[in-house]
Amino acid sequence: MDLTPDEDQMALQTATNDWCRAHMPLAEARSRPEGLWQQLEMMGWVGMTAPAMDLDHPTEALVFAELGRFLAPVALLSSAVAARWTKFDGKVALALAGTDNIRLFDSHNATHALGLFDANIGSVNIDADCETRRSLDLSTSIAHLQSNPPVETINDPRAALHLQLLVAAFSVGCADAARDMAADYATLRQQFDRPIGWFQSLKHICSDMAVRAAVARSQLYYAACALQAGESDAAFHVTAAKRLADQAALDNGRANIQVHGGIGMTDEASPHLCLKRAHLLQFLAPAESRILLAVSP
Amino acid sequence: MDIGFSPEEMRFREQCRDWLHANIPAEIRPLDAADAIDFDKHWQRQLFDAGWAGINWPTDYGGRGLSIVQQVIWLEEYAKAHAPWIGANFVGINHGGPTLILNASEEQKAFHLPQILKGEAIWCQGFSEPGAGSDLAGIQTRGRIDGDELVINGSKIWTSFAHVADWQELVLRTEDGSRRHAGLSWVICDMHAPGITIRPIRKMSGQTEFAEVFYDDVRIPLNNVVGGLGNGWKVAMSTLSFERGTGFIADQVKQSEEIAELISKARANGMINNDHIADQLAQMRAEVAALRAMTYRNISEVVRTGQPGPEASIIRLFTAELGQRLERMAVLLLGEVILDFAYGDDNAVHDYLRGFASTIAGGTAQIQRDIIGERLLGLPKSR
Repeated sequence: MDLTPDEDQMALQTATNDWCRAHMPLAEARSRPEGLWQQLEMMGWVGMTAPAMDLDHPTEALVFAELGRFLAPVALLSSAVAARWTKFDGKVALALAGTDNIRLFDSHNATHALGLFDANIGSVNIDADCETRRSLDLSTSIAHLQSNPPVETINDPRAALHLQLLVAAFSVGCADAARDMAADYATLRQQFDRPIGWFQSLKHICSDMAVRAAVARSQLYYAACALQAGESDAAFHVTAAKRLADQAALDNGRANIQVHGGIGMTDEASPHLCLKRAHLLQFLAPAESRILLAVSP
Repeated sequence: MDIGFSPEEMRFREQCRDWLHANIPAEIRPLDAADAIDFDKHWQRQLFDAGWAGINWPTDYGGRGLSIVQQVIWLEEYAKAHAPWIGANFVGINHGGPTLILNASEEQKAFHLPQILKGEAIWCQGFSEPGAGSDLAGIQTRGRIDGDELVINGSKIWTSFAHVADWQELVLRTEDGSRRHAGLSWVICDMHAPGITIRPIRKMSGQTEFAEVFYDDVRIPLNNVVGGLGNGWKVAMSTLSFERGTGFIADQVKQSEEIAELISKARANGMINNDHIADQLAQMRAEVAALRAMTYRNISEVVRTGQPGPEASIIRLFTAELGQRLERMAVLLLGEVILDFAYGDDNAVHDYLRGFASTIAGGTAQIQRDIIGERLLGLPKSR
């Protein structure tokens, strides 16, 4: 039993973080530059989950949490699951099957989209003339598939758990980003002749953000290990990880805005980017209470 | 990263399970410390004789010298088997003993540690004072040096098991005119020494488990200072960091048993059909799982680096608040039956009332949040 990253994993974590900081800063998530996807492909962030790469789930979770910390493009999630479970490589858009229609994210230059259809992973063709707009999460475009397209499903339940795990990792990163942004601001911003983080009312908001992020990250690690080992309760642990990660991302997203005060409500500052990302992630492979309440998890 | 245990660890788990199954006392542990003391001592002796006391303590002092992972396995099986709380031995096993292992002289360790493991010596903690609660550095109890003795005057409060204890981990001021963290010493105080008066205090849950302690010219040998005169704050903090790190594993495992029982109860009485209750239960099931993951992460950190990680203070706070949410849910599921309770019954109402201690004792939830904000996030110190 060991739930801490080993040296190789820590090195990969650091390398991912360094690259993101230099090439994909969080503040630019409001409008990602053309060509970012090509860079991601060139650096190997796309396709690293292909079976031939033999990347284990815990390592994957660590890397995706770092990518998520910088609000990386959400098509990385669908492309990663596609690389592992389908014949598609390269960019695969993210599909969210709703009651009325199918929403597509990051569909630019993608021919297919992947997402959850009922309980299974499925993929659909994307119409060439699919009209895209900006989404609530400004880092991604959104499109609506009006037709009722044929869905090619993958019946292995592990594929759905894989997507849920990676989305949870993105949420954990998002929660971390909001926590760190709030703590930095509380250290810098002065009122009453001292940093606002001196006041317990502000400090404790930040401490609670740290608690939520640590709780979610711990469960993410456990879930990744359970999925990797093929444990019978893997679905329970991945579901728990998703629920806690969603909450951490949403609650930290809101708390970060409060800590920032007036500037936190503006479009120019970054806090809203984390909150809006959290709202997108909450709808992807959502955690079902039924699984958490089952008699034997 | 992996969550598997080695064949040796799995065999160890089997042994724990088998022994507990065969040896857990049929008798229920009495609630009042004074009534429970014989039970506690006898049970601790039984644990020691079978080799289950001090699993990861050094063999030189009566421990087994095994790994912290094996200690965790024992505590997990202990909670799963519903074995009795170690009660009056709690302070010696979880605070006093580990502090002595880290800071005491060979002579002190050789004398005290085996007695703690065997349940022969009961310890209590003398940190808080009427004027020094959250502000622990405000300690005023004084120890004046007179030859090779300390002459102690002052008082301590909220001292668990004081009225049944033989020894106390006493933090007091040994330098005249010293302020705050300086000039404090950590001393082994003989609770049977002349000049000590103990006034037991009853809790709102009914049992008398802690006390106020008064010192009137109590004489303690200077040899009983641990870690050197004037180093009391440092020594005391080594105990508290232990408590925040690995001292609460049994509670954490107990919570996973409790949430499963709560879900069964809610299913049985139909309250699970209330969406709000079902949602809270699902939430706590996920949180209890995460707590175990966080504990394993922390234990892995201890194995890797020799000490608990900075997130240990998060575990302490999260365990306490999750425990209280579980206790509140248990009472909610009881409904108006809560009104039938007065004092003394060991049940959900009792646990609920007793559970208020967990966000107060050993550093309030507010102090824990200060620590998390200042030490983990680097926010400016408020004090």
